[in-house]
Amino acid sequence: MVIRAAMVLAVWLALVTFPQWSSAWESSRFAAGIIRQVLIFAIFASSLNLLVGYTGLPSLGHAAFFGGGAYAAAIAAQRLGTDQLFVSLGAGVIGAALLALLIGFLAVRALGIFFLMLTLALAQMVFAIAFQATDLTGGSNGFSGVHRPVLFGLDLGAASDLYVLVCAIALSVGLLLWRVTTSTYGRALVGVRENERRMRAIGYDTRTLKLSAFVLAGALAGVAGALSSYEFRFVSPNDVALGTSVTGFVMVLIGGGGTLIGPIVGAAVVLLIERVLPSQLPAQTVLGIVFIAFVVFARQGIVGAARRLARA
Amino acid sequence: MTPQDALQQALNGLSFGALLFILAAGLSLIFGMMDVVNLAHGAFYMLGAYVALSVTRATGSFWAALVIAPLALAVLGLLVEPLLLRRLRGRHLDQVLITIGLSLVIADFIRLRDDWGWGATVRSLPFPAGLDRSISIAGSDYPTYRLFVIAFSAGLALLLYVLHRRSRIGALVRAGVGDAEMLSALGVDTDRLFTVTFAIGAGLAGLAGVVAAPVFGLQPGMDVDALIYSLIVVVVGGLGSLSGSIAGSAVVGPADTFGKVLFPQFALALIFAIMALVLLFRPTGLLGRVRIGR
Repeated sequence: MVIRAAMVLAVWLALVTFPQWSSAWESSRFAAGIIRQVLIFAIFASSLNLLVGYTGLPSLGHAAFFGGGAYAAAIAAQRLGTDQLFVSLGAGVIGAALLALLIGFLAVRALGIFFLMLTLALAQMVFAIAFQATDLTGGSNGFSGVHRPVLFGLDLGAASDLYVLVCAIALSVGLLLWRVTTSTYGRALVGVRENERRMRAIGYDTRTLKLSAFVLAGALAGVAGALSSYEFRFVSPNDVALGTSVTGFVMVLIGGGGTLIGPIVGAAVVLLIERVLPSQLPAQTVLGIVFIAFVVFARQGIVGAARRLARA
Repeated sequence: MTPQDALQQALNGLSFGALLFILAAGLSLIFGMMDVVNLAHGAFYMLGAYVALSVTRATGSFWAALVIAPLALAVLGLLVEPLLLRRLRGRHLDQVLITIGLSLVIADFIRLRDDWGWGATVRSLPFPAGLDRSISIAGSDYPTYRLFVIAFSAGLALLLYVLHRRSRIGALVRAGVGDAEMLSALGVDTDRLFTVTFAIGAGLAGLAGVVAAPVFGLQPGMDVDALIYSLIVVVVGGLGSLSGSIAGSAVVGPADTFGKVLFPQFALALIFAIMALVLLFRPTGLLGRVRIGR
């Protein structure tokens, strides 16, 4: 336990100071940008993992909360005329959580594959709203000119400051998820995944359990969305689209659902395929084939397979 | 809205519903038999439209495309089911996930085939000769192709109904939907039956793609739109039954069309509201046999 905490802290410190100790490397800035994006998507994938991996809810509409959080953060900052981090990030989290409450209320009534269909369809409605409400979201052109936030007096406009912010928030979300998944509440979620009927028989209100997990996951996806709006200074309907939901799902599955590290590994693998792979290779095709291969041959993902190897 | 406009929109709604039926029938058939929601259904639809584009260019005949494209998609289905889905038999969710990966690959394939005249730009397929005119209905002009879509879909529904009720394969499908395990125990080769079912479903998606292409054109993203609409239709109508697909498309097609005319801002919200209401008060869909939730 102590050893594991020390390891996490050591890795995190190495990551935070990456721009300093790698500064001699010519691609240091590019690599730091990739790390920021990996961490942002790791938060997104980890939030989805709370549903897919721990609670057994295969959501294919999680982009609604990622993009919803990004739009809420950007729009709140613009309308209120402030760049304060707490305002835009708060708006992103609350906006995404409310959206998750609304969609979850309907979706948790459906079981298994139907849950997947419903989250997909309902998220597509959010996409349609983002696409059509041109006054609010900029429609198909997207919402450009998002300001990077200010923390009290501290300006986080420079890429290096944003890097530290993303690292800090990623660590906080990771610790929160560790707390949640090891608590009795987290064990109850796993119970719902393993045998929902038995959980109901024991006396758990499983529908409320599932809805609460859905809202928590939505709120954390909103955190990732707000960070992504700072990162790219841009929010587009793509952030709400099915493609983003699928990307998150692929990250969780490739990395390993139901583990804390899995989605982080998955986010790194997927972004490396998408951003670093030689551009003449078709990234989506590679991703699709890798995904199919993992579903067929290694359903427990990279982390799950590695653990199995370590045990053997 | 004048009575003429109302009639025109009613026909538009009916022809859109007719198209949705072709699309949803394949999705529902595959689900009824295999308990798999084929999320590559939209990609199959899209591929059908693009194959039709190429066939029409090569032969100059839309009617050749109407035959060849669905057959091509059926052949794809004949390959996909045994190669990918069969090895995951019994793991329904994983089978669904495979179809997600498949749809990524198909959509990317179409996007990259600029050299075939496909690619990421918007393409269009001309109306077939003879159906590129309008005729006068109750004092206003109406495109004959849309009337053809209604008639074609009605004919298809009738054909499917007769096959379903009267043919040997229809009897096998009905038995498989009821209890595939028992059917297998009675000596029927259910593996082959599943493959054929999946191929027919894929072929129907391709058929819908051909029929829709002259009206809606071909562009990236049409796969997702088709998938969402077909999911809504089967949720509203009920999964796994032919009559459910008919009921769902008969509700969603006109509702979507009138919604877009009457309150353009909320058209999508309207069909999603219908879906939500059905889900809350009738979780099996209007005519379904499978409960979607509790």
